[in-house]
Amino acid sequence: MRKSKLAFLLVAIAVITMAITGCGGKGENVGAPATGDNILRLVTNDEQTTCDVQKTTEYYTIPLNIFERLVETQTNLDGTSELVPGLAERWDISDDGLVYTFYLRKGVKFHNGEEFKADDVLYSFERMLKPETNALNQDFITAIKGAIDMMEGNADKLAGLEIVDDYTIKVTLESSFAPFLANIATPGVSIYNRKFTEEAGEQFGLLPEKTCGTGPFKLSKWELNSETQVDAFDGYWKGRPKLDGVNWKTVKDADTQRMMFENGELDEFDCDAAPSQISYFANSEKYKDWLKIGNRVGIYYYSINSNIKPFNDVRIRKAYQMAIDKQQLLDTLYDGRGLVQSGIMPPGLIGHNPDLPEIKHDPEKAKQLMAEAGYPDGFEMDICMVTDNTNILRLNEMVQAMLAKVGIKANIVQMDEASWYGVRAEGNLGSYTTSWSADFNDPDNFFYTFFAPQNTVKRSFNYANQDASDKVVQARGMTDSEKRVELYRELEKQIIQEDAAWVPLYLRQHIFVVNPRVQNYVVMWNGWTGNMYYNMYIDNTKAPK
Amino acid sequence: MSMIKYIVKRILIAIPVLIGVMLIIFLMLNVVPGDPITLMMREHIKPELIERMRVQMGLDDPVMVRFVNYMKGAIRGDFGISYKLNRNVTDLIITAFPHTVRLSLFAALIAWIIGIPSGIISAVKQNSLVDRFFMSFSLLGVSMPVFWAALMMQYVFAYKLKLLPVSGHDTWRHLLMPAIVLGWSSAGTIARLTRSSLLEIMKNDFVRTARAKGLKESIVVVGHALKNALLPVVTMMAIQVASLLSGAVITESVFGIPGVGRLAVNAIQNRDMPLLQGTVVFTTILIIGGNLIADLLYSFIDPRIRVE
Repeated sequence: MRKSKLAFLLVAIAVITMAITGCGGKGENVGAPATGDNILRLVTNDEQTTCDVQKTTEYYTIPLNIFERLVETQTNLDGTSELVPGLAERWDISDDGLVYTFYLRKGVKFHNGEEFKADDVLYSFERMLKPETNALNQDFITAIKGAIDMMEGNADKLAGLEIVDDYTIKVTLESSFAPFLANIATPGVSIYNRKFTEEAGEQFGLLPEKTCGTGPFKLSKWELNSETQVDAFDGYWKGRPKLDGVNWKTVKDADTQRMMFENGELDEFDCDAAPSQISYFANSEKYKDWLKIGNRVGIYYYSINSNIKPFNDVRIRKAYQMAIDKQQLLDTLYDGRGLVQSGIMPPGLIGHNPDLPEIKHDPEKAKQLMAEAGYPDGFEMDICMVTDNTNILRLNEMVQAMLAKVGIKANIVQMDEASWYGVRAEGNLGSYTTSWSADFNDPDNFFYTFFAPQNTVKRSFNYANQDASDKVVQARGMTDSEKRVELYRELEKQIIQEDAAWVPLYLRQHIFVVNPRVQNYVVMWNGWTGNMYYNMYIDNTKAPK
Repeated sequence: MSMIKYIVKRILIAIPVLIGVMLIIFLMLNVVPGDPITLMMREHIKPELIERMRVQMGLDDPVMVRFVNYMKGAIRGDFGISYKLNRNVTDLIITAFPHTVRLSLFAALIAWIIGIPSGIISAVKQNSLVDRFFMSFSLLGVSMPVFWAALMMQYVFAYKLKLLPVSGHDTWRHLLMPAIVLGWSSAGTIARLTRSSLLEIMKNDFVRTARAKGLKESIVVVGHALKNALLPVVTMMAIQVASLLSGAVITESVFGIPGVGRLAVNAIQNRDMPLLQGTVVFTTILIIGGNLIADLLYSFIDPRIRVE
């Protein structure tokens, strides 16, 4: 072989060897992320797009742990929740419900060493409202006076937030708004440090060195589509967490996640990724004591689009409700782990009505209603779903069979996710199933989300009872909590039972299989997958052999 | 000089191809339902924000205006900011590409180490049991669905035998299974092509002459016939590398490798136009480059070939 060709071959081999064994994508981190046995090892199938929680409506796990709020929602050991002081140690509310005075905690440090003060609250709220931020969670603070003006670019200061001194702020609302405290306890209203965040600019929340909060953990590693890690913050005001860190690997495939867990590579397996495996774990000698179960403060439902015939007729909507055997769905698909529901406010939510009449499974009554409505031989309808979701497909197929028994021919229409959300936002999507878990513990988070006038269109409900929709909006401003709960209970009967605006199914328990070495593991009060990890710790003496 | 002219000509032809591809992708993403804003919000859809964000992201401009604005940036190498990931598209691709390179080159090495020798042996031992075995093995590689092969390997080698990690990409042990999954399919093609090409060459007079001169069979095959038989195989290898480098979507997803393939799939699912355009341009350049390198290699190896 000629020397030039030999040289070429040798260079090629060297390049290949270096590429395979050499560096590649170690990720962005501040210093070296923590390693060792005292790190909680988790997995996610869909990581956050940004840690700037003002710019996301879904990815709350990291923000829950690296940022804090004025008020926090604490999960108690029995799974209930309550609002507790966070960065505000206490607050006063005026009798008319318009003025909130927050007394801020002193001596709290951000991850960059700066002390938390009232100006940081002002900065965080104003940043969220400025149009150029493109924030997605403004609705949590639009009740504040002047917020709408800022959002529309008509003001550059938030009129309703006054700094009294470095540790006292006064917030004035436009009108009384009962869920205000619960709203500002959501991850979306996390508090940022003005100095750090302004310097970080557009990169805030995208890189570990450009992310800073007061939370017990700080972002230490983020390799997109691969791995994220938060490490313990030594200067946390409540004391350093016992964990050295929490690590998430990004793995889309549920089977791969399960194999990793059973191989001992993960500390937690979320059974939501593979509900068909619940009975495997629950009945396994090895894993049955590893289950951690939380009650989701949420509800699964089938939507009804009242603009699509024949669902404009309430008798047809009621027939749809009665045709589905919800208990059978729970028993067959989810090992019976849940509770059938007949309304919209699940147990655990303020206002839940334990005496709400049950919507019974009654195929004969369903057929009778259909005949009265002029459909004695049934009709055709679409159930729309996102492709590549075997769990939802199984559910839809079972419901399809149940509907067939009353003469309804349901076509399962699959489409990609973007199309599904797009068509739904236009108000044209046929019936679909999904779920909703509480963002904050208040009925407004359910009623307003689904049945406020604009929202009912964007979710393809097209609920036509304007009077009820208007009351949903009015209920937000009521200051008498007892009368407010009473109104919500009336609305629940009206919207769900009399108007049959959707088909409530059940709430499902959220089950995690957790390695025994993890101590103090409590499922979030609302059943979210993401959790707050401050109180958890690892005891390797309890790790399985 | 003629070689340089040839390369320049090929590059110039590639430019309208690239523009055409970008236009088609742009138009297709505008025709299908769904937009990045409703997808960003998902269950937390907020009607009052949708219109404002459409205006701020320029999504309410006419399609061709948006395309022209986009191309103005693309010409300068600025492929914009990903709608979903909020990061510069070029940076995202540059970060993802090394992962794909490592996996692709590892897979290609496996393909060549397995494919070429098995193709040679099959040709020399034509119609024997060994030949049948290797050809069945290569047929399996070519026809087996990648996702199935990936899951089976994970189940056997990681879950049951605990020999390798289930997923990840930090070390060569993490890459071994995905590289075998990808390489097996490429090895099958290489093996079949090597076999058929060698069988064809072995019929030539010069091979008969070499045998008549009393040379050992191994020298006849490897020293004389193989050099000529490898011409189409080398071309195929170059094209395969280009194809691998554009991202193995399923393999990267199953094994948790943050490469270009996963980036492209996420972009489609999220209607993330800037990211999708960026990955498509990147992939197109790789494929065009791979074909060009294959042609140049051909002439480099065989002095008889001239590019004109």
